[in-house]
Amino acid sequence: MIALVVNGEHCEAPAADRNLLSYLRFDLRLTGSKYGCGEGLCGACTVLVDGQPLRACMATVGAVAGGQVTTIEGLAQENALHPVQQAFIDESAMQCGYCIPGFIMTAVALLHRESEPSPAQIREALAENMCRCGTYQRIQRAVERAAAQR
Amino acid sequence: MSSEQPSAQGLHIVGEVALGFTPPRTSYARAAYSGAEPDTQQATLLIVRPDGTAAAFSGKVEYGQGIRSGLTIEVADELRVPLEAVEVVLGDTDTTPWDMGTFGSQSTARVGLQLRRAAATAREVLLELGADHLDLPASELECHDGAVASRVNRDRSATYAELVSGRQIVRELQDDVELTAAGQFSIMGTSVPRNDAIERVTGMALYSQDIVLPGMLFARILRPPEYGAKLVDADATIAERMPGVAEVVRNEDMLAVLAESDQQAASAATVIQANWSEPASQLTQFDMPDLLLHTGRDPFLTQEAGSLEDGFRQADDVIEQTYYLPYVSNAPMEPRAAVAQWEDGRLTVWAGTQRPFGLRAELAQQLEIEESDVRVIAPEIGGGFGSKSIYPVGLEAARLARSAGRPVRVAYDRAEEMTWASVRPAALIRIKSGFMSDGRVVAWQSDGYHAGDRPFLGRRGSDTPYAIPNVRVTTYTSDSPLRTGSYRSLGGAANHFARESHMDEIAARVGLDPVDFRLRNLTHPRFRRVLEAAARMFRWSPGASPSRRGAGVALGLDVGSYVAACVQVDARGPEVRVERVSAALDCGLTVNPEGAKNQVEGSIVMGMGTALYEAIEFRGGRLLNSGFTRYRVPRMNNVPQIDVELVGEPETPSTGAGEPGIVPVAPAIANAVFDLTERRVRELPIQSHLDGSSSSEVIPG
Ligand code: FES
Ligand code: FES
Repeated sequence: MIALVVNGEHCEAPAADRNLLSYLRFDLRLTGSKYGCGEGLCGACTVLVDGQPLRACMATVGAVAGGQVTTIEGLAQENALHPVQQAFIDESAMQCGYCIPGFIMTAVALLHRESEPSPAQIREALAENMCRCGTYQRIQRAVERAAAQR
Repeated sequence: MSSEQPSAQGLHIVGEVALGFTPPRTSYARAAYSGAEPDTQQATLLIVRPDGTAAAFSGKVEYGQGIRSGLTIEVADELRVPLEAVEVVLGDTDTTPWDMGTFGSQSTARVGLQLRRAAATAREVLLELGADHLDLPASELECHDGAVASRVNRDRSATYAELVSGRQIVRELQDDVELTAAGQFSIMGTSVPRNDAIERVTGMALYSQDIVLPGMLFARILRPPEYGAKLVDADATIAERMPGVAEVVRNEDMLAVLAESDQQAASAATVIQANWSEPASQLTQFDMPDLLLHTGRDPFLTQEAGSLEDGFRQADDVIEQTYYLPYVSNAPMEPRAAVAQWEDGRLTVWAGTQRPFGLRAELAQQLEIEESDVRVIAPEIGGGFGSKSIYPVGLEAARLARSAGRPVRVAYDRAEEMTWASVRPAALIRIKSGFMSDGRVVAWQSDGYHAGDRPFLGRRGSDTPYAIPNVRVTTYTSDSPLRTGSYRSLGGAANHFARESHMDEIAARVGLDPVDFRLRNLTHPRFRRVLEAAARMFRWSPGASPSRRGAGVALGLDVGSYVAACVQVDARGPEVRVERVSAALDCGLTVNPEGAKNQVEGSIVMGMGTALYEAIEFRGGRLLNSGFTRYRVPRMNNVPQIDVELVGEPETPSTGAGEPGIVPVAPAIANAVFDLTERRVRELPIQSHLDGSSSSEVIPG
C-alpha cells in the first residue's frame, strides 16, 4: 500500500506502479484532472504535488508517495473559489472546458512561485498546456487578472 | 441531471418536434443526418415548475459552443425571469425532444427560436392565469421578473410560483406567438458569464471520459495497425491469465480485453499476439495532389453565370494557379469515450456524440432491440469541431457490456483519437481568372478536387461572392486514402483559401491595394461592411502588395454569416509569427456577444494552426503523426493579439458564429506572408512550405 494525501485526505493506493492520473480519476473518482494525451504534452492532467505542478499522466503513485497532492477539486476552500478559478469565470476563459482544470492548476503553481509574473512569463508557463478550442487569449487575461488581485 | 416527469406539476409547453424544426437547408447538413426518422410525438419543450423556475429541453449537445448559456438567455428573456431561474436540459434521448444533431452552427439559431416560442407561449398562459387569479383584464397585465403584475398598480401581482403550483397545465406551443422585439430584450445581446462555468473551473463538469460506474470494466480494444488491415488470428492465452483481466472478447472483427482497471486492460493488450492482413495502399501524403487531380469525378456545378469564353476574351490579363490543402485533424482535447450499462434488457450509453438520437437509432438497429429500450446521454463534450457526429465507441461499449454482463467503458487514447476519428478532406483547387487592368474581375473559373466519398464536404463556400459577370465553379469528389469527416466549416476553409489567395494575386498583378481591390469587386452590403470594419479595426493603411509590411486580408461567407480578417505577420525569426488579427463578423442578431466572440477567437486560432503547422502525415493506412509530438497545434506562445467585432444588425436573423471565423484566416496569413516576403505560398501549411519540408514540388500544373 502506498500512502499519500490527496486534497487533504489520507489515501492508500493499491500498488506503487498505479498511474497517478488513473488512480485519481478512476479509484478516487476525482475526474476533474483530465486525460488529453497521456504523453506529458497537453497539460490536461496537471495536479500539484507539494505545490509543484506535475503531469499526473506521466507519474505513478509510488513516485509521489508521502506527498501532498492537490487536484482541481481541492482548490476551492470552504465554498469560496480560488482566485484563479474566479478569474477564469470573469474572463469567460473557456469553451468546452476540458483543458481548463489543467490550465488552472498550472496557473496556480505559477502564481505560487512568481507572485507578479509578466505577461511573457505567463505565456511561457502556460505554453506547456493545450487548448484546442483556442481560448488562449482569454486564459492569458484570466491569469493576469488573478495575478493583479494578489 | 434533471428528469422531469411529464405528469409532474407546473405549466408544460409541448410541441410537435418534427414540425417545430425546419429541415436543414443545406445538402451537407442533410447528409450528415442519416437514418433515424423524426419522432413526431409531442415532446415537452418547457416547464414552468411549481416553484416558479423553468426547465427547457433540447436534444442538442454542449461541446463548447456555449449553447446551454445561449438557450438559457433566450428562455429567460422571453419568459421574463432571471437567468438563474432557467435550467436547460440537453442531449438525453429519454428526457429531451428528438433532435437531428448538433452541427453547422445552426444550433442556437433554430432551437433558440423554438424555445423562445415556447417561453412566449408560456408567458401568454401565465398572463391568462394571472388575469384569473388577480381578477383583472389580461390587457392590463404584464410579465416581469417571474411574476404577473398590473401595469397600473404594481402591488397587484402574483408570482409564477403562485400561479402554477398545485396545478398541472399542458398547453401547445403556438407557432405564431408574438416574440419580444429586438429592442426590448433585457439580457439578449448583453455579455453574461456562462451558467455552466463553475462546474468547468471546479472539475465537476462530467465528460464522457469521466463516467465511472460501480462494477465497471475497462476495455482495451486492439486496433488494426493501419486502415484496412483485418485481424487474421490472435493468441490471447497469456493475456487472459494476467491480473485483473475479466475476459478477452473475440467478436468477429473486434478483439478486446476487459479488465478491472484501465492499466490492467492496457498491459494485457500489449501481450496479445495478433496478426493483421496487409492493406493494399502504399500512398503517402506526398501523393495527394496528384491523386486528387486524377481521381476527381462527379463534377458538380455550384455556380454559373455569363460566358467564360467571353470573359477571358475581354480580359486584359489572365492568371491560372493551383492551391493545395493537406488533411488535418480535428484533434479535440477530449478523445472519444463511452460507457454502456444494461439493466433489465434496457441499455444506457453515455457518449459525447453530437447526435445522441442518431446513436440511439444505430444502437437499436445493430443490437436488434427497440429504440425505446435504448437511452443515450450526451454528457459535456470536450470539443469536436464537427467530428463527433461519428461515435463508434458507443456501439463497442454496448456490445462488450452485453457480453460481459457488467458496465463497460471504451475510451480512445490520443493516438486512437487521431487515427480512428476522421480528418478534414485534403483539397486541390485550380483557379483561372480574367481581369481588366483597372482591377475588375471579368472571368472566374474554379475547379475544386476534394478527398472523400461525401461530395457535400467540398462544396461549402466554393462560390465566389464577388460581382463577376462570367463564372463557372465546379467541385469534384476525389479518392481518399484516409477517412474524411466533418470539421469547422468543412470545405469552406479550403475554398476560401484558394479564392482569397487568388484574389490577392490579381490585386498584386494590377497593383491595387488588396482591400480597395476587393471593394471594387463587391456589391453586397454585408460583405462590404465586414471588410470595412476589419480594415478600420486593423488601421489598414492602403498600399499594393508586396509592401514589405506583412499585412494580409481575406473575407468570406459561411453558414449565412459574413466575415473578414486582417492579419499582421512577422518572419524575422525562424518561424512565421502571426502578431495581430482583426476580425469582423456579421452573424445577425447575437444572443450572447461574449460567447460569439469567444467562438470567433477560437476559430482564428484553429485556422492559424491549419495555416502554419498542421498536416497529417501517413504511409499506407498508417498515420505517422498521431500524437502531439509530431502533430503540432497552436499553443499559448504562438497566439496573436486577436480583436473581434460583431457588426451584425439585431433585426437580421441569427446565423452561425461557431465556424465562419476560420475561413478568412489561412488566406489572410498567406497574403500577409506574400506582402512581407514576396513569396506566394499556395500550399498549406505555410511554415513547412517555407522550411522546404512539404509536398509543394509535386503540385501538378
Ligand atoms: S494527459 Fe497528461 S499531459 Fe496530456
Ligand atoms: S476549452 Fe476546449 S480545449 Fe480548452
